[in-house]
Amino acid sequence: MNFTERINQFFMTIGGLTAFTIRFFTEVFRPPYEIGEIRKHMDELGVKTFSIVSVTGFIIGLVLGMQTQPVLARFGAEMFLPGTIALSVIRELGPVLTALIFAGRVGSGIGAELGSMRVTEQIDAMEVSAVDPFRYLVVTRVVATTLMLPLLTIYVDFIALIGGYIAVTITQNLTFTYYIHLVLEAVTFSDVIPGVSKTFVFGFIVGIVGSYLGFNATKGTEGVGKASTTAVVISSLLILLFDMILVRLTLIIFPD
Amino acid sequence: MIKIENLHKQFGNLVVLDRVSFEVPEGQTFVILGRSGTGKSVLLKCIVRLLEPDSGKIFVDGKNILELSHKELSELRKEIGFLFQSAALYDSMSVRENLAFPLLRHTNLNEEEIESKVKEMLRLVGLEEAIDKMPSELSGGMKKRIGLARALILHPKIMLYDEPTTGLDPVTSKEIAKLILDMQRKFKMTNIVVTHDMVVALSTADKILLLDKGKFIFEGTPDELVNSKLEITHKFLSTTLD
Repeated sequence: MNFTERINQFFMTIGGLTAFTIRFFTEVFRPPYEIGEIRKHMDELGVKTFSIVSVTGFIIGLVLGMQTQPVLARFGAEMFLPGTIALSVIRELGPVLTALIFAGRVGSGIGAELGSMRVTEQIDAMEVSAVDPFRYLVVTRVVATTLMLPLLTIYVDFIALIGGYIAVTITQNLTFTYYIHLVLEAVTFSDVIPGVSKTFVFGFIVGIVGSYLGFNATKGTEGVGKASTTAVVISSLLILLFDMILVRLTLIIFPD
Repeated sequence: MIKIENLHKQFGNLVVLDRVSFEVPEGQTFVILGRSGTGKSVLLKCIVRLLEPDSGKIFVDGKNILELSHKELSELRKEIGFLFQSAALYDSMSVRENLAFPLLRHTNLNEEEIESKVKEMLRLVGLEEAIDKMPSELSGGMKKRIGLARALILHPKIMLYDEPTTGLDPVTSKEIAKLILDMQRKFKMTNIVVTHDMVVALSTADKILLLDKGKFIFEGTPDELVNSKLEITHKFLSTTLD
């Protein structure tokens, strides 16, 4: 594929994804709401990602604590370590790293699953049997990822704070209760709300990108693989891009 | 029941269907015969609007399906069963769930009634014991039978078969052909069977249409096909004798 074709394909993907997103918003508020399917997908997503985000969250907190402690010690500000860990995790690291792991684990899974259904005519079969595959397969998955990622992020933030506490105890004799007290002292409403809110957007990105690429997969098993890997690449890039935009927006809304 | 007028479909410069027309009366089985890649499946997919034709008209039950709204099309599709080439069973669902899916979506039957209906359909296709299996545990022939059971579970007026015996051994192919006949006798549907399998064509058809390069080059009964002087029909017939 030459450069011009790549540019063409890039803009076609962006256009297709935009149209797909518009279709999602026209369908999502129309009944029936497929609550059972959404709950089923949320369960699956939770089970799929629970162990990996637990380990990652713990390590983030631990490493962040270990790396930050000597820097703060240089300025005699070790007492700010719990607050620093908490702010870093809640404002940025927790949401973004959880979203990137979610994109890798869930986005690729959705791309592969829907891609496989497309190339084996299962989506056509659903359409012919008068069931709208967009509503049944896409809308339910995107709603599930949008709702599930914030829950996972809150969980990861908590686990990362436990990791951070372990790091703190290496150099300081601090009880867990006092550690939490210092964390709560440092963290405000304007730290938590934007941090968690942006994960709704990240969850939506993971769901819609994976669904778009899987739903429109072609060329047999090769197409399924491509849908799966491209879903991770595009959703990761969009997560970072939207993070930049949302952080700027947060600083405007909460200037302090 | 089904009437096609001047249907035209092309992909890029490749003309797949070149203004084809035909009419299937109610309760009859028409077989569309042709070599691979001649547009048989495209024709079938246009009839249920999985593909949009470039021009022409498709009447099902007197309604031009190309002019129907999304809702009207959905209603009409409930009257049509479609057996896909790959059977297209939902691979995340068991056989029971595959068959129950259309009933759960389109009827108000309770759990017991659905279970009894699923078992009844499985009995008809001779696969009652497969009820708890997953599609990955089924052979090609079993998948086709289950696909047929799922397509028939809402008792459609029209049944469309896309290459029902592709990838099956000759014995299983004959069994599937017999099953198509049995179902036709039981449910009195209007059938279109797309195939390149002469055994299926000769044993199930009221009328055979031979599609070549986007046009019908033969239209007649199975006997007329056997006695036809067209070279391509002899090539097809020779495959049944091999």
